[in-house]
Amino acid sequence: MNNKIPNFVKTNQFGLLILVIVFICIFSFSTDGFTSRFNIYALSRVVALDIMIGLAMMVVILTGGLNLSLGALGVSAAMFGGWCMESMGIPISITIILVLAFGSFLGWINGFVTVRTGVHSFIVTLATMSIYFGFMTLLTEAEAFRKLPEAFTNFGSLKLFNKYISPLLIISVLTCFVLYYIFKYTDIGRKLIAAGANPDAAELSGISVDRMFIYCHMLSGFLAALAGIMLTARIGAAIPSMAGHLGFDWLLPAFLAPVLGGTLLSGGKVTVFGTMLGAILVTLINNGLYLIDVGEFWVRFFLGIILLGAVLLDRAREYFTVKNSIVS
Amino acid sequence: MSALLKKDWFGLGLVLIFGSILISLFKPAFISPFNLYVLMLSVSLMLVVAMSQMIIIAIGQMNLSVGAIGGLVAISFTGLMEVYSMSILPAVLIGLLIGLACGFINGYITVKTGISAFIITLATLYIFKGMNLGITEAQPFYEIPEAVKFFGNAKIFGPIPYLVIIPIIITVLMWILMNRTSLGRYMLAYGNNVQSSELIGISSTKIVIYAHVISGLLAAIGGMLVVCRLQLGTPNIGDSWLLPSFAAPVIGGAILAGGKVDVIATAFGVILVSIISQALVIFKIDPFFVQIFLGFMILLAVFINRYREYREERRTKVFSDE
Repeated sequence: MNNKIPNFVKTNQFGLLILVIVFICIFSFSTDGFTSRFNIYALSRVVALDIMIGLAMMVVILTGGLNLSLGALGVSAAMFGGWCMESMGIPISITIILVLAFGSFLGWINGFVTVRTGVHSFIVTLATMSIYFGFMTLLTEAEAFRKLPEAFTNFGSLKLFNKYISPLLIISVLTCFVLYYIFKYTDIGRKLIAAGANPDAAELSGISVDRMFIYCHMLSGFLAALAGIMLTARIGAAIPSMAGHLGFDWLLPAFLAPVLGGTLLSGGKVTVFGTMLGAILVTLINNGLYLIDVGEFWVRFFLGIILLGAVLLDRAREYFTVKNSIVS
Repeated sequence: MSALLKKDWFGLGLVLIFGSILISLFKPAFISPFNLYVLMLSVSLMLVVAMSQMIIIAIGQMNLSVGAIGGLVAISFTGLMEVYSMSILPAVLIGLLIGLACGFINGYITVKTGISAFIITLATLYIFKGMNLGITEAQPFYEIPEAVKFFGNAKIFGPIPYLVIIPIIITVLMWILMNRTSLGRYMLAYGNNVQSSELIGISSTKIVIYAHVISGLLAAIGGMLVVCRLQLGTPNIGDSWLLPSFAAPVIGGAILAGGKVDVIATAFGVILVSIISQALVIFKIDPFFVQIFLGFMILLAVFINRYREYREERRTKVFSDE
């Protein structure tokens, strides 16, 4: 192992890992409930979702873009799933496939419009965010789907490993491994990265950059839809407001996880496990802030400070690595 | 005439005039004094918010924290008057100062670290909003001096509210800034091409910080105007500003890549969005539909811009062939 990862210590992931451990130590000593079985189980359910949302954002950041519609898209897909199961009586497995396809389709719209207009995806997804969320509220009349099949809601409250871990976390970790494999070892994954890193060079080497960007947006829609299903299973109902107005509640974790994880906003670099660690760190801090009793109204303030601190630290790290590499 | 045709705002202007005539033919209530009054109020508030975002678009960045600054200033403004029984003028000045400081923080961090303004303002959005909630604990301030209430409610004559005065002054000042001062032209140059603007000696530090400070000031004014309008200071002022703040400049013909921003076109964008929202209300269409409509309008504007660029490219190609 040692000769294989000598550079690991220098990476962002290593720094994150240390931070995660430090925060776990701080919170376990300073609060009572942090290591309780209940809290760890609750954490695992929240982390699972934050990882998935972070990954969904990460694959669009890969193209140098952003996906503001993430939350609106995920909730729309989840509501579609609720409608399939409750109103149409479609079996769970088929519903999940339909929801994922629906999410990918919404992602495709984002990608298609972005590529065709050449406008930054920020503006496109800002528009689709309000379109998706508006249609969803209009069609559902802002009513929740609460009579979902028991097999589905039971899955969300299942407790594994001596009742410590939610199965949702296992789905997220598995997704991380699949994405890692795709980006590292498959042809299409390498093409996606190449297109994001240097579109002109990728185009010249015969990669259709436009198509790759659309794929990234579709993947983002797929992952957001998966997050939507997971949230539905966790809550036990599909509620239009479960990600806040316009899905805004998902936005901060969505950006925090990949940015903390070392994904470059300019595109062309993904860190699947960095994003996972980033999501874990965010959830830990969020949970810890509540347990320390900083006051629920100040939690947002501290999350903002942490995001700012994280990007500044990352900037400093980059600066020093560049300086060191020039010296050596 | 052909020079007029090329202007961004010309097409929009035509759409506005014909659209309004058409709507009032179907629904005469549209040009009732009360409706015009409501329309003017919504236009004047959105105008300030849109200008606050527009100046950041001009330098090729975006400011997610516009609403959070507006909200923080709104509750500080009302809080100072209610809790510390401060008189109006110093409260306004402190409000402006907070907006200025928030904008300075955004601009300073962005330009000194080189990190995308999107991430910086996302972080400050949470910081400012968190401070807002931390201070107010999500409770509104109700005690507003009568003079402030009067300013938000009264009409100069006919259906024209007092509230339009400040936004009109701001729009004129912004037009002068962007079209008649070197600072404004430098901002556009910077938004168009950072490298070349630095090569001709424009200080990026100065440009970025000035733009963010102006954006913060305008967001602060927007927040205080909303307080006048609502007659109270609630912590959720500014929460819904994000979409409209981008919609108006984009619909008005600004390209998000920066460097092409038009104050008049942005103002027309604001008026267009307000008229459509108002018309949808008059036609008794579901309010959620207004949101969908706004989204589609942005996409449409984006496609139209793209088409115009495409046509321009073709035209220049033809000339170079000759």
